[in-house]
Amino acid sequence: MRYVARKVVLFLVTLWAAITLNFILPRLMPGSPVDAALAKLASSGQTITNAQRRAVEIQLGVPHTSLITQYWDYWTSIVQLNFGTSYSFPSETVVQTIGKAAPWTLALVGVTTILAFIIGTLLGVYAGWRRGKAADTSVTLGATFFAAFPPFWLGLLLLYVFAFKYGWFPIKGGYDPGETPNLSLSFLSSAAYHSVIPALTLAITSLSGWVFGMRNNMINTLGEDYVTFAEANGLRTRTVALLYAARNALLPNVTAFGLSLGAVVGGSVLVEGVFSYPGLGNLLYIAVVNHDFPLMQALFLVITVAMLVAIFIVDMLYVRLDPRVRQ
Amino acid sequence: MRRLSPARSMMICAAAMALALVGVSCSSSSNNGTAGSGTLTIQGDAGNPTLVENFNPFQGSQLHGTNLIYEPLEIPSPIDGTYTPFLATGFKFSDPKTLVYTIRQGVKWSDGQDFTPADVVFTFNLLKKYPALDGRGVWQQINAVSASGNDITMSFSAPNVPFAISIAQTEIVPEHLWTNMADPTKDPNTKPVGTGPFMLDAFAPTQYSLKKNPTYWQADKVAPAEVLFPAQASNQSTNQLDVVSGKFDWSYNFLPDVKTTYVAKDPAHNQYWFPPGGTIGLYLNLTKQPYSDVNFRKGLSLALDRSTIALKAVNGYLDQASMSGLILPNLKKWLDPSLPDQGNVKQDKSAAQAAFAQAGYALQSGKLVKNGKQASMTIVMPGNFSDWVAAAKEVVNQLGSVGINARLDLPQYAQYSQSIQAGTFDAAIGGFGGSGDPYTDYSLALSSTFATPVNTPTANNFERFKDPSVDQALATLASATDPAAQMQATYAVEQVMFNKIPIVLMYYGGSWGLFSTKRFTGWPSATNPYTLPTSYNNSLLTVLTRVTKA
Amino acid sequence: MSIVSPVPPPEVPGARVEIRVGPAGPIPGPLRFLSRALRTLWSNRKASIGLVILGLIILVAVFAQLIAPHSPTATTFVPYQNPSATNWFGTTGNGQDVFSQMVYGARISLLVGIAAGAMATLVAVTIGLIAGYRPGVIDELLSFMTNLVLVIPGLPLMFILAAYLQSRSVWTIVLVVAFTSWATGARVIRSQASTLRTREFVTSAVFSGEGLFRVVFREILPNMTSLVAGSFFSAATAAVMAEASLEFLGLGDPNTVSWGTILYYAQQQNSLLTGQWVLVFAPGLAIAMLAVSFTLINFGVDALSNPRLREK
Repeated sequence: MRYVARKVVLFLVTLWAAITLNFILPRLMPGSPVDAALAKLASSGQTITNAQRRAVEIQLGVPHTSLITQYWDYWTSIVQLNFGTSYSFPSETVVQTIGKAAPWTLALVGVTTILAFIIGTLLGVYAGWRRGKAADTSVTLGATFFAAFPPFWLGLLLLYVFAFKYGWFPIKGGYDPGETPNLSLSFLSSAAYHSVIPALTLAITSLSGWVFGMRNNMINTLGEDYVTFAEANGLRTRTVALLYAARNALLPNVTAFGLSLGAVVGGSVLVEGVFSYPGLGNLLYIAVVNHDFPLMQALFLVITVAMLVAIFIVDMLYVRLDPRVRQ
Repeated sequence: MRRLSPARSMMICAAAMALALVGVSCSSSSNNGTAGSGTLTIQGDAGNPTLVENFNPFQGSQLHGTNLIYEPLEIPSPIDGTYTPFLATGFKFSDPKTLVYTIRQGVKWSDGQDFTPADVVFTFNLLKKYPALDGRGVWQQINAVSASGNDITMSFSAPNVPFAISIAQTEIVPEHLWTNMADPTKDPNTKPVGTGPFMLDAFAPTQYSLKKNPTYWQADKVAPAEVLFPAQASNQSTNQLDVVSGKFDWSYNFLPDVKTTYVAKDPAHNQYWFPPGGTIGLYLNLTKQPYSDVNFRKGLSLALDRSTIALKAVNGYLDQASMSGLILPNLKKWLDPSLPDQGNVKQDKSAAQAAFAQAGYALQSGKLVKNGKQASMTIVMPGNFSDWVAAAKEVVNQLGSVGINARLDLPQYAQYSQSIQAGTFDAAIGGFGGSGDPYTDYSLALSSTFATPVNTPTANNFERFKDPSVDQALATLASATDPAAQMQATYAVEQVMFNKIPIVLMYYGGSWGLFSTKRFTGWPSATNPYTLPTSYNNSLLTVLTRVTKA
Repeated sequence: MSIVSPVPPPEVPGARVEIRVGPAGPIPGPLRFLSRALRTLWSNRKASIGLVILGLIILVAVFAQLIAPHSPTATTFVPYQNPSATNWFGTTGNGQDVFSQMVYGARISLLVGIAAGAMATLVAVTIGLIAGYRPGVIDELLSFMTNLVLVIPGLPLMFILAAYLQSRSVWTIVLVVAFTSWATGARVIRSQASTLRTREFVTSAVFSGEGLFRVVFREILPNMTSLVAGSFFSAATAAVMAEASLEFLGLGDPNTVSWGTILYYAQQQNSLLTGQWVLVFAPGLAIAMLAVSFTLINFGVDALSNPRLREK
């Protein structure tokens, strides 16, 4: 119980800190992002209401107002989910733009993490069990090598070979043009088809975290007494490895999950950009290229909070799975 | 017997599910979105990231397909100004201040109602009532519109014969529907009713489609049964890859090395046409020294090797531009024959130095110096206009070789636009001309009515050129109905462009038309240059009423 | 991309045992120390491969002027050419020689990797040591800050910082990368420092009146050399990848030539379209090799201190 309480408090405090960091950042930067954003909004060709301008100022910095007032206004606007208007997409609010993109990134990141977890864990078990042999070296070297690939580079190469040269997969997008997002089979299958290469790219480059985490866990576990005991009792090594060691080493490695999630989210920015995949990463890509500060602010907040929530959920799950933590 | 570990069984399930989904989608996606025969696919608007449904012809953000739903009175060719009649069968100036259009009869709106001259009057009066819709500035020129019989009469406040070009291109909307519109400045008009060859069929966030209007007044000239507009991605490279994959009948995109990357993919059907669509020039802030000195400008003009600049900027697709300000050979009929070499200026470094000397500069150990200071220049342009940047880099090189220290400033478009409009820039790269009509091109760039003081923004003539002789020539051109008088007035302006060098024109900017003749032929081309291959304006209407099935 | 080294920090603090434990004595001459470290690293097979790759890249960077046949920025060639006798990797859309760009580009990529890695490690060591050595409020505060930065996804934070900062130079990139990559190292160092704090040799040093600085820098730090080295190589790996990503987005200095900017121009000028896949393949592979070399060396550093991970 104390563990849970502590984790909850930590989560809330970190959440507060992240939101405050998001408040401080644009106000620290030289060159007044708020002026730039307002200028761009003005020249975007849409009429911008005063309410929209005010919302942008609250996010990025209102000149000649005390920081306390600004901070209070900032929290009010966050609670009301009012992040202003982005000038890259001036015909809708930032919340609407993000709302449309969020499910795509959730799906992509979710599928990728599961893929990477499964493949990486299996490889890690194999490598840890066969420590020191050729299998171990090839797995670890392979995982290291793939982890060193910049994800956008791997994405470009896969795009070139599989989408452009051979046309087996689509070049861009989250779904076929002409489809509308709904729950029909044709839409879902088109979405799955479009997600294969982006997910593959991200999974390959984020494997190594799982491989090494699992491998190290296996190595430590294999040194444990109960394993030696099982072996001494005559059980075959393979049985021992799979039924005993792997199961115990499989306990979700929370740190590894957190780091891997961060890597996937970070990598997804450029990979989604390369594939024009309509997720949050692509939005951030567009926002950065256009110097669209209101959109950047909102995206950063959304991504950070999502990460925090995800890690918190896994932390809570960990309590259920690992009795040692409960005392 | 080995039990499958939970992890392993999970993985097998996931893989099976994935394969199933991909398998299903592979077969279904090959049916989705492919064209049946009679479907013409155009590379569509940029999604943001998805398309916003807007078919209001007067708002800046309308979708390109709007040009196929609504028609204007007439469309002048942006290449040489020849008119193609649409809702008007002809026009004339009964006097330099009175313009009369004869309206076509027997035309119906796509909802079955008759189209009448009253709709035309209504449309123009709508623009008067809501100035936000009057993007062409019609009511700054005319002061009244009326109908009588089949004719529409417009009165001008001051003679402006060339302005008929803008009036003719105004899209006409139905009175019976738009009278009831609450706020036309905001209404996205998602159920558009027009007189044009196509009607809205379906709209989805990544693609919209139009179907043929069966009661169109020249339906027999319209070959496609359907027009598809799949959205572009925000990633320009992806769009280029898309073009090359062969799914479009018509696309508009700069392609490097087009013969290898596009034509070679299907030599029997893939064709391209990159005609000049405007001129790119080096603008100098004429309110500042030494740019206000015509000799310095002459030196700059002579120091540049324009064909190399064109090679670096547009990959050799287009050539150097004539200093007359006319796009050649499109507007050749307006060219003053007394201009040497059609107004083309070749690099001549010694003549350049002579001109600089006239301006008080001397070359000292490789630097162009006056009063002990080296001549320097900061050239501003949007950092993501890659051909402008490439041109400017070459300009910096060439100016360096005559002793001028030039550097580039590459901000975002908004900052660039602010600094040129305010007149606080030093030098800038910008576009000139391209409307197909010399008066429009010259007056926007040279008329002193636009030359506001520094720090008062102006979108036109931002270099702040003032010359009463040019204003006089432009006024003559505006009121001349006799072609010979128009010619003489145009020649006068060309002479000023050539000799006084208000802008150092460099190379022609391209219009990147890419076509496939697999399903349709009759596209505009070098041998058939009836309009520019731009798929984002009313050239759409011109082209789609001319193409035929392959 | 894993923004941290694929070798995760140890689960049980204190399981990592430095070879030499005990009072440090006078710090051995840096040269002798370095040579001993290199020799030990070399004996680890993975690390030796990493050292060879890194050595090759350093050689190419140092002798760029001798190796590159042309200037990397001269636009004198025909644009969009495939590999030929004059241009071994072909030319860019601006008519520049790609092979020369690759050779000179090694300099910036190495520089950013090492500089950002060093800066991140410096910050990590400072914060980690202070937090580890001073329990209580300072430790809680610094640990909280560290955890906060750890949770925030590094790459998005970098993009946003770089976009806000507007100035386009290599040093902006170094700063931005260092600012976002110190947290992992800080956490590791803090946990080791707090373990060492309770060791006898430290307590005896404190009792004998040694000042704070001496205790930290002469007693604790030398016992964490491999940790610091490991942290440096992790940060350098992350820095190389981050630099490539930032350049690819156009947030770097488009006038410099680095492997990342070659990729940026390859994307802008669509080298995939013109079939010039070398312009995409070569710089990405080079970046990957540099990152791999750092990681491999890190294996060796890790194996030095954790006997369980040593190869038998």
